[in-house]
Amino acid sequence: MSKQTKEAKEAKHFDVDVKVRDFCSKSKVFFIIGLALILISLLSTFTGVNVALEFKGGTIITYSYVGDVDENGISKELTSLVGSTVKVQQGDSLDSDTKTLSLSFTSNDGLTIDRQNDVTNKVKELCPDNEVTLLDANDVNARSGGEFFAKCIVAAVFAALILIIYIAFRFKQISGWSAGVCAVLGLLSTLVVTYGCVVLCRFEIDSNFMAVILTLLGYAVNDTIVIYDRIRENQTLLPGIQIRDLVNISDSQSLRRSIRTSVTTFSSMLVVTIVALVMGLDSILSFSIPMMAGIAMGTFNSICFVPSLWVWWQTKRGITVLKPAKKKAKTSV
Amino acid sequence: MRKVKKPVFFIVFAVIALFTLSTIFGVHSQYGDIVKTYVHGVGDIRLGIDIQGGVDVTFEPAGDVDATEEQMDAALETIKLRLANQNISDSETYLDYKSNRIIVRYPWQAGETDFNPEQAVKELGETAELTFRKGTDTSTDENGDTIPAGDIVLTGADVAQASTGGSKDDATGEITWVVTLDLNDSGKEKFYEATSELYQSKGQISIWMDNTMISAPSVSAVISDGKASISGNFTYESAKELADKINSGALPFSLETTSFKTISPTMGEGALNAMVIAGLITLLLIVVYMIVLYRLLGVVASITLIGQVAGMLAAVSGWFGFMSSTTLTIPGIAGIILSVGMGVDANIITGERIREELRKGKTLDTALYSGYHRAFSAIFDGNLTGILVSIVLMGAFGVPSSIWAKIFNHTIFWFFGATTEGVIYSFGFTLMTGLIMNFIMGVFAARLMTMSLSRFKCFQNKKLYGGGIDVKAD
Repeated sequence: MSKQTKEAKEAKHFDVDVKVRDFCSKSKVFFIIGLALILISLLSTFTGVNVALEFKGGTIITYSYVGDVDENGISKELTSLVGSTVKVQQGDSLDSDTKTLSLSFTSNDGLTIDRQNDVTNKVKELCPDNEVTLLDANDVNARSGGEFFAKCIVAAVFAALILIIYIAFRFKQISGWSAGVCAVLGLLSTLVVTYGCVVLCRFEIDSNFMAVILTLLGYAVNDTIVIYDRIRENQTLLPGIQIRDLVNISDSQSLRRSIRTSVTTFSSMLVVTIVALVMGLDSILSFSIPMMAGIAMGTFNSICFVPSLWVWWQTKRGITVLKPAKKKAKTSV
Repeated sequence: MRKVKKPVFFIVFAVIALFTLSTIFGVHSQYGDIVKTYVHGVGDIRLGIDIQGGVDVTFEPAGDVDATEEQMDAALETIKLRLANQNISDSETYLDYKSNRIIVRYPWQAGETDFNPEQAVKELGETAELTFRKGTDTSTDENGDTIPAGDIVLTGADVAQASTGGSKDDATGEITWVVTLDLNDSGKEKFYEATSELYQSKGQISIWMDNTMISAPSVSAVISDGKASISGNFTYESAKELADKINSGALPFSLETTSFKTISPTMGEGALNAMVIAGLITLLLIVVYMIVLYRLLGVVASITLIGQVAGMLAAVSGWFGFMSSTTLTIPGIAGIILSVGMGVDANIITGERIREELRKGKTLDTALYSGYHRAFSAIFDGNLTGILVSIVLMGAFGVPSSIWAKIFNHTIFWFFGATTEGVIYSFGFTLMTGLIMNFIMGVFAARLMTMSLSRFKCFQNKKLYGGGIDVKAD
């Protein structure tokens, strides 16, 4: 304890005008929190993952009807009957002048006659005065199958490589390769936790999920880079400084910015969530709620997890003080 | 450092304001009942099927064709390519092997005038078999239709890439449009043989789209490099349509439409309203928050953020003449949200840096200058990595003829077929535009405006820039 306060005091000797917080002394806590969240998220898979129609295949049933029906109400009732999310969409036939109601949902054992009858009876029961008639039922395959996922993974790995190379190049004076790998590990944990949030909230893995993952990819990397930028700058301003102090100072200086930016992005997603709740649009919630989880995790990662991981790595390599910028450029591997 | 003059603020502000207003309202003229659109406004943005709904079409093979699963897959791929070629980036396509049905859903708003769903359906399901034949002979089939009879020189499969080209007649100033073809190796050989044979007799090669002769040029040279072109009475549109059809290949059989209906948004009724309301509330909150935190810098930040949003909407609506409009979907909106987040972040980073400099007791001029200077490297690295990610996404999931897809499909993704996943492309597109706008607005314009405002006597109080009581005013 006394050692830490001494270090914090030493940091105060440097020409910085913020209260330097000792982030590095808490790195064990950060690792435990981070790993626990990742573990919970991975384990959530066993509680059952809802994969959407476009990735899994399923059933599209179309009815004709007259009058007015309540889309959201039917969707809720049928979802509890079928056991997976049922999308309900209305329309007008352009060739025969009737109103149509399309249901689409996934199911594990395809569309059996019994299942089809159950659904049809339920719709008729829900809309007794609408003369609901079955038009057409299709058992469709997945729109985007295994190859799509494989390509996503190749694209993600490739993007990660580019990020590592970019960071290694731009941040070579702070041992760029390790910084790049730490950033990508932090990013990965943000995405895993977001996945866990989607699974635990019983949302579907659909194109909303893809959008959230892609957004957080950009957001989390930016967050980490802003901290790295500060470390890079301080390493030039304060040559010969201990790595722990360097990270503590940089973290402390970036803290206001990180909190303010996160508050802004988090609250904009909160607004979306509230508006969706008020208007009864559950489909938007599967976008905004995982985003909030990801933003929170991304902020934690960029301030706590990634810098601690990076310091731990440097310490493992026996480095406590980074070499001056020019020499470092040649020796960083 | 060069001093920014006082009027600069008003000039930059006026440019952003004009740009934003024209992006929102567009430029239209009305003559009687005919509205002519010069510049696309927000109202002209085509919204995705997830927010706005669209059309649901079911195709089945015409006649008694018993298609195999492979053939149905091929037909589906062709339809997806054709959708992508029409800039429909968020179609949903489903295939039912049991009943051999292909269900296609794509966005369309009732009353939309420059997009005709029936025309689109026709083009999606149309068979287009391209043949090059010796001579112009025809014969009559059992139904009494005229069909081509010459020996086939080339088919669509011999073409590697079709594109449009125009040549201007110097005398009349008219542009003649042609479809240019790059033949692949098998085609090169065959075309060389045919042209060497026909060159002697000044024979003709006729070009057919199914049973319609498009063009029948005389062979005036032996062509060995595999570059051919089709001329006919093309307009730019008809030349592009033919090039697209050749690029997307021919369907293995003709399809007929068995059902054709509109469909409400995937996200549920009212999704659009909810997004617009949430967007406006959020923008208002951000503006208030930025102004409370950063005073004058917050005002500048708000102006540039609005400019940034306008820039992205402009890119989507087709405001920029050189870019065609795309469809706005939920992932596209996610791209906008992320870029706005990065824009806010850029302003916060700069604001914090200026505050730090002021706390060190620097003069306003120096503090502003070094604040912007020091903030830049973080903003630059953060946004550039974002741009790199968006390029990878556009390359992996874009239309095969787009520039990034061309680069990536031959290198990283050579193992995979061309997968066009429009919604991911749409995310990459808005994100990239947004981040570029962030450099223009959040970095360049914001700096010009702040520097110019600081020239005014009334704006020289440091409190207006530090945003807190902890900065001593002098």
